[in-house]
Amino acid sequence: MDTVTYPESKVVRFIEENFIPLRLLSDSKPHSEKFNIKWTPTLITLSPEAQEHHRTVGFFGPEELIPSLLLGLGKYHYENDRFDEALVRLEQLVDGYGKSGSAPEAIFLVGVCSYKRSHDAKPLKAAYEKLSAAFPDNEWTKRAYPYRLL
Amino acid sequence: MAEKIQWRTEMDDALCQGQKVGKPILLDFFNPN
Repeated sequence: MDTVTYPESKVVRFIEENFIPLRLLSDSKPHSEKFNIKWTPTLITLSPEAQEHHRTVGFFGPEELIPSLLLGLGKYHYENDRFDEALVRLEQLVDGYGKSGSAPEAIFLVGVCSYKRSHDAKPLKAAYEKLSAAFPDNEWTKRAYPYRLL
Repeated sequence: MAEKIQWRTEMDDALCQGQKVGKPILLDFFNPN
């Protein structure tokens, strides 16, 4: 990450604009135990109240790290019931990084957030249709499978 | 804009700053070796 990903100017800009970056050694107690760290790098999106919202383990290049961080921001807002803010981040991910590994979960959550905001089931069905067209074998497509009936 | 990520190194400091400016924390557990 230090050689390839973190030096990229777009990564620096994205992290500095959207996060408070915090780096701890993987054996720094008590935090490594509290977060059950077993492998590095482990990246966690935390609320300022220290609530975990998103976690990844292993290397990410710049083109995968930024969408993964967008997913973390989306989940941070979603899990605090801020659906409009979550949708901004998730749609930014889907529109800008639609082929990334983070895109399927983002499409799923766009459907969920849209439903929670409007109580209209159409976005859930739309999420399934988008997932089945773009990622037919993905686990998020399988999780959305029941929405095809809505 | 900084040319490098300005990593904080203390949890309490990062959480306080996050509360102050309303941003989440990106926590990177790393191994320097």
